[in-house]
Amino acid sequence: MSSCTAKTNVSLTSQDFIDIVLSKTQRKTPTVVHKQYKISRIRQFYMRKVKFSQQTFHDKLSTILTDFPKLDDIHPFYADLMNVLYDKDHYKLALGQINIALHLIDNVSKDYVRLLKYGDSLYRCKQLKKAALGRMATIMKRQAQSLQYLEQVRQHLSRLPSIDPNTRTLLICGFPNVGKSSFINKITRADVEVQPYAFTTKSLFVGHTDHRYLRWQVVDTPGILDHPLEDRNTIEMQAIAALAHLRAAILYVMDISEQCGHTIEQQVALFESIKPLFANKPLLVVLNKTDVIRLEELNPEQKALIQGFINDDIPVMEMSTFSEEGVMNVKTEACERLLSHRIEVKIKSKKVEGILNRLHVALPKPRDGCTRPAFVPEKVIEKRLEKGPKIKKKTERDLEVELEDDYSLDLKKNYDLPADFKYDVIPEFWEGKNIADYIDPDIMAKLEELEREEELRVESGVYEKEEEEMDDEEKEIHRLAGKIREKKAIIAIEGRIGRSGGAPVMPRAGRKRERSVSRLRSEFEELGVDMSNKSGAHFSRTKSRSASRPPIKKARADSAGRVSSSSRVTPRDQSGIRNVELKAKAKKMGHKAQGKMNQFGKAGEADRHIAVKMPRHLYSGKRGIGKTDRR
Amino acid sequence: MPQNEHIELFQKRYGFRMDYQERQRKKKAREHKLQSKMAQKLIGIKGKIFAKKRYSEKVQLKRTIKAHEEKKTRKKEDGKVPEGAMPAYLLDRENTSQAKLLSSMVKQKRKEKAGKWDVPLPKVRAQSEAEVFRVLKTGKSRRKGWKRLVTKVCFVGEGFTRKPPKYERFVRPMALRFKKAHVTHPELKATFCLPIVGVKKNPSSPMYTSLGVITKGTIIEVNVSELGLVTQGGKVVWGKYAQVTNNPENDGCINAILLV
Repeated sequence: MSSCTAKTNVSLTSQDFIDIVLSKTQRKTPTVVHKQYKISRIRQFYMRKVKFSQQTFHDKLSTILTDFPKLDDIHPFYADLMNVLYDKDHYKLALGQINIALHLIDNVSKDYVRLLKYGDSLYRCKQLKKAALGRMATIMKRQAQSLQYLEQVRQHLSRLPSIDPNTRTLLICGFPNVGKSSFINKITRADVEVQPYAFTTKSLFVGHTDHRYLRWQVVDTPGILDHPLEDRNTIEMQAIAALAHLRAAILYVMDISEQCGHTIEQQVALFESIKPLFANKPLLVVLNKTDVIRLEELNPEQKALIQGFINDDIPVMEMSTFSEEGVMNVKTEACERLLSHRIEVKIKSKKVEGILNRLHVALPKPRDGCTRPAFVPEKVIEKRLEKGPKIKKKTERDLEVELEDDYSLDLKKNYDLPADFKYDVIPEFWEGKNIADYIDPDIMAKLEELEREEELRVESGVYEKEEEEMDDEEKEIHRLAGKIREKKAIIAIEGRIGRSGGAPVMPRAGRKRERSVSRLRSEFEELGVDMSNKSGAHFSRTKSRSASRPPIKKARADSAGRVSSSSRVTPRDQSGIRNVELKAKAKKMGHKAQGKMNQFGKAGEADRHIAVKMPRHLYSGKRGIGKTDRR
Repeated sequence: MPQNEHIELFQKRYGFRMDYQERQRKKKAREHKLQSKMAQKLIGIKGKIFAKKRYSEKVQLKRTIKAHEEKKTRKKEDGKVPEGAMPAYLLDRENTSQAKLLSSMVKQKRKEKAGKWDVPLPKVRAQSEAEVFRVLKTGKSRRKGWKRLVTKVCFVGEGFTRKPPKYERFVRPMALRFKKAHVTHPELKATFCLPIVGVKKNPSSPMYTSLGVITKGTIIEVNVSELGLVTQGGKVVWGKYAQVTNNPENDGCINAILLV
């Protein structure tokens, strides 16, 4: 199949083809032209459009032409198969039509470009371009039929099974309904449909099987009827094509029970008629459906016919795909025959000497005449003889095969209990207690022993814990630590609750009333601090505004003497700091921390580098709709 | 079933999902929504193409609906015979009605009065020299302007050789020389691509006729041996006149109607 796919993606209908090419022309060529441009510019504009359409058509059509396989270039098996399925003439004609269309489009474009050189007004050039594109579109419209046919061919071609014509292959042929598909289902994993009506298999099927660590292809063909070549229909012709071109081992399957609807005489007659196709191929005649009737039970005339095969040196084998007897033998025999045939052919060819020269089987030369068998001590030999033949233990599987329908799996029969207890049903609980706890008969004794041990341990003081004496300080610390932990947990939970909902949050500057003296008081009192003494306090009640007094405007200065604006919220660099020295210290620490970063020269926020100031995708291209004035 | 039709094989063996038919039906029922969404959203050239397609679909739909409705309504059959209906044994005869005879007589008289040429395009726009010719400046300093370049499509006969370039006044470029015309037979309604024999008359000016300039309305002579026409006497007709019906310089081809 590697040689034979049409590699295209979906091939288009002619209408789509035209639409795509025309819209591509509209998108990829300049769109604006005015009457007042120089005539050469106008001409160039329209010539470009005509040429672009021609190029696009040309490219697309030539990809179609190259993607479809040429019947002369592929393996004759596939060429024949394609002829059978798609009619060689029709196929070649369709591709020929496409080729003609290609040349016609090229000619049209050439003519009109020549004419465009003499266009002396915008109107004339535009009309010429319209005529050119219109003509190309008409040519494509006429190819609708060919394109449709090629699309169908491409789809069918991609679905052909991948048969490698050069590898080891077994080919199964015979009348319809003899059991070819059942056979291939048995030896490979190909899931071919098996039905009682004739011509269930309508095309070639492939399966793979293994033999001697090699991969073998098994090809199942549709049944062949016995009539001359000219009368054969497409389905049979596929089988004939496979027979003719694949170098494979042929398995001619016959139905000796005549259930397929054809007598043995007819089947032998078919064999004779397609015998020329079996030249130079290892052949095997397989008698199927032997579960119904065996070879010995046939009447003498039929036996004579089969004997005829044997006389002609064609091996005859029996099998039954229903009961699976003889199937593996047939496969092995066929594989062996093909392998030996292929080796023979290879030996006869000239390449063999090159290989044989490099092969050398080395056998060790015997040093002297005495034999050296394997050494087994005498005692062992005696013991072996004493033991007698190995008694094969009867497995469950054997029992199952013996009893067939009467067999039932009984896992309890090998229990190590007295016979009347074996099949008892044991509950899990009884009277509120677990039965598993009481299974052991000595369980009470064990429990008592354990308890005694435990008492001894307790007495000896294994479990004594050292109780440390904490002094007051440590106790206090413990207590405080507990309180802190509790408070932390509460804050964390409150924070989580507070974050939920996505309600709009006031910005920091807006949160005026958060930090108030009353809040301070209550929090510290909660912690146990005495807040009644006001004299040494750093906080004071905020002045409440009254309507009578106009506000005295004065510059507010903070402790460092700097005048600040009249916003109530403390700025961030002061918000957590108690006094000026600490502020200076904090600033210093901040600077110190930054020093290391600066020393390493790592890129900070201000060091972003823009590599490309005018990336092309932002500054070029047309807009889908609208103007391109702003970028 | 071919080996690699996995989907079809699975469907054959195990059938479809339980809600498969339901889903298909619902999907189909939703299609009109997609159509309307597209119709509203598409703008620009895509919108125009879509609108055009949709319009033709709608026309078809309306036609079928109308046809169905006709079937539904019942009409009483009145036993009127359509005009011109004849019994079968009289069908071969060509009856000329009275009116037809009269009108053909009148037409004949008029033709004789008007003149020999009774052409499909009786009147055409006259082409001025400025339209047909373009001044070609020659000379070392491009000052001499006596040469003219023909800007319309022309026909030069077989075996045509130019005058020596130094002396030729009218330049007829090769790109604008055409040999074939697409000629339509007015009765058969079929078009053939026939070789031109010569230019008979250009209605704008006899100069154009002598130069072989072909514009709309020009009478040309075409080689009709392809059609296989035979005269009464048994002679083969090989040349006939045709009148040009398009502007060849705009379309890049010459379309003509045969004058029978």
